[in-house]
Amino acid sequence: MAGPVLELRNLTKEVPTGSGVPFVIFKDISLSVKEGEFVSIVGPSGCGKTTLLRVINGLLPPTGGQIFIDGKEQTGADHELVMGFVFQGASLLPWRTSLKNVLLGVEGRKPPREAEETARRYLNLVGLSGFEDHYPHQLSGGMQQRVNLARALVVDPRILLMDEPFAALDAQTRTFMQLELLRIWSHTKKTVIFITHMISEAILLSDRVVVFSHRPGRVRSEFAVPLARPRNLDIKSDPRFVELENKVWKQIEEEVKAAAGFAAL
Amino acid sequence: MLKPISIFGGLVLWHVLAIRVINDTSLLISPLVVIAKGYDMLFVTADLYPHLYASSWIFLQGMLLATVAGVPLGFLMALSPVVRDYVNPWMTALYTTPRIAFAPVILLWFGIDMASKVLIVFLGCVFPILINSFYGMRVVSREFVEVGRSFRLSRGRLFLKILLPASVPFILAGLRLAVGRGLTGVAIAEWFGATEGLGYLIFFAGQTLNLPILFVGVAVFAILGIAGFQLLKIIEDLASPWRKELAGK
Repeated sequence: MAGPVLELRNLTKEVPTGSGVPFVIFKDISLSVKEGEFVSIVGPSGCGKTTLLRVINGLLPPTGGQIFIDGKEQTGADHELVMGFVFQGASLLPWRTSLKNVLLGVEGRKPPREAEETARRYLNLVGLSGFEDHYPHQLSGGMQQRVNLARALVVDPRILLMDEPFAALDAQTRTFMQLELLRIWSHTKKTVIFITHMISEAILLSDRVVVFSHRPGRVRSEFAVPLARPRNLDIKSDPRFVELENKVWKQIEEEVKAAAGFAAL
Repeated sequence: MLKPISIFGGLVLWHVLAIRVINDTSLLISPLVVIAKGYDMLFVTADLYPHLYASSWIFLQGMLLATVAGVPLGFLMALSPVVRDYVNPWMTALYTTPRIAFAPVILLWFGIDMASKVLIVFLGCVFPILINSFYGMRVVSREFVEVGRSFRLSRGRLFLKILLPASVPFILAGLRLAVGRGLTGVAIAEWFGATEGLGYLIFFAGQTLNLPILFVGVAVFAILGIAGFQLLKIIEDLASPWRKELAGK
């Protein structure tokens, strides 16, 4: 597979407003993601990152531009399951156990026994063996997001879309989950688009960090992360890590200030 | 949870009120007299059963029909704006009009046999069931629907796997409301031109100032209501074990 797994060309999303002037959420996003690449998108709040992920996933139609997956344009009409989506918050179905939640994407697509085996395997991968019959409310926030991750991985997606999956976790659990994600990713080698507010998280996890401008969101810059894998928390003290973190932060700071100035008008 | 102490305390209060405060058996009688009369009607003369059967049978039929009609129609309204817009004004009108106003008309049209009584009960039950089914499906979290869509579930599967289970607690709440309104319906239906049933019993006892029978009738209604609620609670626990644990926390 030589071409990019995911390619966005001039993707734009607007929503109509009462005044007749459409509200532009993001504009002319072009991005190309290689097989097995881990790309993070960071940007100021309200820059349209989450909306972008929803558009890529086909939950919302774009206003303009194109999305290609493995060179095939996504028209929104096809119902092929090629993306796994890890949602931000409590998106686990409360009436289903962990196992049943993970099964959601595969039941009916595979023979029942095979589906269940696959689901158990992914629960094991995310470290939740023994919690198959627990309901979401019986699990901690971190464990819930593990189920969420297993649920997205179980369909063996071409692309894994992660929408601030650790945002609701406390700092310690969050750090731990970042390391877990590095471990899990090293097993699955999925192509990942990861949305976050946290620059250090983006650098720790990614091959490439994409910085978004304030609204309407545009790609402001891209940074390759020059740090070898496998990674652990030690790389946070690596001078290249620190330097990159500062660079990205400066840009985001500018964007936040620009957004504030814009709002003050 | 039924609290025996609450029930017992209430009965004691009633007894004291009847014996010490009112002290006039033509106005209020002690629960002991009611219990004795109830025992008599159940186990000695056994003349309560025809009334109990008649009322229960009307109630069950009305409730069942209301569920069979109300739940799907509620779902249809939630899923189709066209159905919603057409049904809504009629639903609101019928729901807010006091049912007692319909009773004479229904009896006029359908006579005093079973059909008209079941219809009166049905009218009482159907709206809470319909409205709750509609509302339950309308308020299913957007996130859950997006989960279903992101897994590319077909419309049928989205309904079965996401929308339906998410609505179950609302539907059951609707059924609980319907129990009360359905029993009221039974009383109304039997008030007008019936020859048996608990409503008839109460009406007849009221006319003849027979307080013991009157209160037995009322008490049986209350017991039926409590029994209906408890039964639905058991169904709810079976249907959604995850909620029972949530509530227990």
